[in-house]
Amino acid sequence: MYRYDEIDRTMVSERVEEFREQVEARLSGALSEDQFKPLRLMNGVYLQLHAYMLRAAIPYGTLNARQMRVLAHIARQYDKGYGHFTTRQNIQYNWPALVDIPEILEQLADVEMHAIQTSGNCIRNTTTDPFAGAALDEVEDPRPWCELIRQWSTLHPEFTFLPRKFKIAVTGSEADRAAIGVHDIGLKLVRGETGETGFEVHAGGGQGRTPRVAVKLRGFLPKNELLAYLTAIMRVYNLAAQRDNIYKARIKILVETMGPDAFTAEVEAMYRQIRGRDLAVPAEEAARLTAFFPEPSPVDRPEGAINAPGFARWRRINVKPHKVPGRAIVVISLKPRAGAPGDATADQMDAVADLAERYGDGEIRVTKEQNLVIPHAVAAHLPAIFEGLEAAGLATANAGLASDIVTCPGLDYCNLANARSIPVAQALSAALIDRGLDEDTQGLTIKISGCINACGHHHIANIGLLGVDKKGEEVYQLTLGGVADNGAAIGKILGPGLTPDEAVEAVTACVAMFRRERRSGEVFAGTLHRIGFEPFKEAVYGQ
Amino acid sequence: MGSEAVLRDVHARIEIDTATAPETALEAGRRAGAIDVRFPGFKDGRGYSLAALIRESGYAGELRAVGDILPDQKDCLERSGFDAISPDTPSPRWQRAGFTHAYQLGIARGATDRPPVYRARALAARKEQVDALNREHSASPPQTIIAASVDAFSGRIAMLSSFGVEAALGLALLAQVDRRVPVLFLDTQRHFPQTLTYRDQLIAHLGLEDVRILTPDPAEARALDSDGKLYERDSETCCELRKVRPLGAGLEDFDAVITGRKRAHGGERQSLQPFEFDGERVMINPVAGIDPAGIAALYRQMNLPAHPLREQGYASVGCWPCTAPSAGLHARDGRWPGSDRSECGIFDQARTDRAVAARKRAVRLIG
Amino acid sequence: MRAITANRLTDGHVVYRRSDGVWTPSLIEAERFDDVAAADAALNAALRDILTVVGPYLIELDGDEPGGRKHVRETIRLKGPTTGTSLLNAGGR
Repeated sequence: MYRYDEIDRTMVSERVEEFREQVEARLSGALSEDQFKPLRLMNGVYLQLHAYMLRAAIPYGTLNARQMRVLAHIARQYDKGYGHFTTRQNIQYNWPALVDIPEILEQLADVEMHAIQTSGNCIRNTTTDPFAGAALDEVEDPRPWCELIRQWSTLHPEFTFLPRKFKIAVTGSEADRAAIGVHDIGLKLVRGETGETGFEVHAGGGQGRTPRVAVKLRGFLPKNELLAYLTAIMRVYNLAAQRDNIYKARIKILVETMGPDAFTAEVEAMYRQIRGRDLAVPAEEAARLTAFFPEPSPVDRPEGAINAPGFARWRRINVKPHKVPGRAIVVISLKPRAGAPGDATADQMDAVADLAERYGDGEIRVTKEQNLVIPHAVAAHLPAIFEGLEAAGLATANAGLASDIVTCPGLDYCNLANARSIPVAQALSAALIDRGLDEDTQGLTIKISGCINACGHHHIANIGLLGVDKKGEEVYQLTLGGVADNGAAIGKILGPGLTPDEAVEAVTACVAMFRRERRSGEVFAGTLHRIGFEPFKEAVYGQ
Repeated sequence: MGSEAVLRDVHARIEIDTATAPETALEAGRRAGAIDVRFPGFKDGRGYSLAALIRESGYAGELRAVGDILPDQKDCLERSGFDAISPDTPSPRWQRAGFTHAYQLGIARGATDRPPVYRARALAARKEQVDALNREHSASPPQTIIAASVDAFSGRIAMLSSFGVEAALGLALLAQVDRRVPVLFLDTQRHFPQTLTYRDQLIAHLGLEDVRILTPDPAEARALDSDGKLYERDSETCCELRKVRPLGAGLEDFDAVITGRKRAHGGERQSLQPFEFDGERVMINPVAGIDPAGIAALYRQMNLPAHPLREQGYASVGCWPCTAPSAGLHARDGRWPGSDRSECGIFDQARTDRAVAARKRAVRLIG
Repeated sequence: MRAITANRLTDGHVVYRRSDGVWTPSLIEAERFDDVAAADAALNAALRDILTVVGPYLIELDGDEPGGRKHVRETIRLKGPTTGTSLLNAGGR
């Protein structure tokens, strides 16, 4: 777990004070709304349909029990008793008052958290593998480097007013789990020829209106050169990207316009020009950051089991192997049947904090699939964890199944949305579970976005839904074949738009088709590749 | 080189805007004594990168931000290299204080300069480590100091060797610890041929696996020393060209350097500690405390070959134009004879920093 | 028929403009406009109310309910999120 030193504490508390003054300046008229908006966005404050929304950063999806309890407290005190975990591993509150937000930020700062750069045209919270430091297949823990990027990107003087938002994802394993292919910059820790680790660097990926898979700029970058290389990419982007059209301002458009080779050459030239000791990551700082994330100790006790109904199924579906003997990764699904994906009540947050503290070294993760994780659970305590989760209504055994649906807040909350997402997900999850279609769908992904900005990641879903506004009515486009992790792919539109009810039926038909047609061990992309779009088209649209 | 002075008009003020191409902005930096960067809208952040590029190219004149900018951007502006701000709309809010710390490398000038946090923390840790090593090794023998250094700074340590009259001792001790540790040799192109022969002899004798030969930049050498006699006119600049700058580049990848400096050399070296921190690197002086008799004894004991000039009366060997046999009290009395110099400048951190900055500025800037 | 809506500056809550220029959470109390010029004049006044509200704009009404092309969005703004309700009852229509 990262720890603030005096410098971090000063930075964050000065930032809180700065925002307090900015709110006062807005209320007094010293700042206009046009001036205030980018400033509040950079502190995670949106104005949504019903209220302000505050997005607090959960650095690379990592938090501890104490922090989770403060998140619960904020939900109770300033919101309506719940929060929404997002596809970018953050948490959103839907109902805080602007005048309360400086106080909320102060409470976050007390537990080494903030909302800095969770929105706006700046470098956003870095995301990573939610199983980092626990996964069996890891080359190296990416979190020390995420923490380095968090600090470096915070209030960067040169890169705070970028053409558009900028997202960096880091993974430490081949399986990815951070969808690095659809990020502005994607970093993968790899082992070089001489055995040392470094970064494979990708850039120019993204979702939204023009989904693109990132191109590889470099096969190997020494780790201590990371800041110099990131600076080079950011500077080329900041100077050269289009600024007059927000749909063409992301780095993916620049990479495409320049061409991957020319873009790479420009970045490499800038990198050679600026690299040097001032931008090199000092060994002492790398060691300090690495020491924040020690491997959990092995536990010399057998894994626990009970006969309680549902335990065996939950164990099979929601518990993943850990690299340390006696430990296990527990995924806590925030996708109960017909629930709002990613929502958790204050009481549920407290329950997770308690369980993590008692049975898992106090550590918690947030996943881009909008679930929570106890990454270092003691396997002997799995029964106690299960019982605790069940009591909190959090024992849904569907992590990674079809009903583990990802959604954005959609038109129920979001100012940008064209259609609702959550009610569709709710109806769909009920239909899948009630009709027995959820079984044996491990790895099948369904994701729903309420507008083309694609916060619901529909482009990279095996089965995606995109809500659009067609003459005042909500209509959904169905896409097939997207892949998020380990070689991202963008889904393709299957056919004409669907009403909400039709969309639910269409997705269940696709799930049924996949379950019927797949061969043993085949993932959705494999089945789709083998049988093509036609059978799915027929299942959805008839002849 | 000389064209810059001809073109630049220190009284000229040039205005560019955020849409200006980087090469045009850099041209402004070469021609003018003052530059205004106009922000047409406060959300247009290209001005920050342009300012950084201009400053990094070595421009030292006024850089003023004008146009639609907010007091809330003051810190970003200053840290990107602006030293004057002239907003369209004045406001008492411009009186705000900046942040105490900075997470990144900035290009702020003067009082608003803050070192990037990652370096500030690391250098503080490095200094602490030096203090701890000195406490532990104040009386350790050279072998122990070298072993502790290679262990503490593994992968980022090198030995700097002149392959001079006393160099074989340090090299031999290093070879006993780890032959793969890089050894840096400054080939000034003004060495005695005997030194070069001795260097190759020692490399073979000790089995050193990674000797890196640092030479002056050919373009710089042509510019500064076209007739090859710079040493006659200005020995300090000659050292700058042939030692300080190449070493600055050669040390780029190292945080710790083992030297052969000894207290017995006299001058500034009389107070040497085994571990010293120069604000950037750890300088390790394993043989600092050994006197000439001790060195001679160790040479015999370890059966080390002597430098060919040793028997001709040289107690310290540098470049041939500036070294004479030493008859004085201290070994280094024969260096730069007839002047008050006793150091070439490679152990002067400020000079090394300037040299590195000059080299970086010489790099072509792209758009 | 049209009315003017916005979000309140201090807490972001949905408000509608009354004929006396005061902002209210109740759509029923909002001033209604048949006349385009009158609506635009009132919107101009609302747009100057920068210390009270953010982003005033005109919405269409269908009787006492939001209507027109943005009826789903405006119904959700008026009545709150629909999550948990039936899909068929979209936006309370």
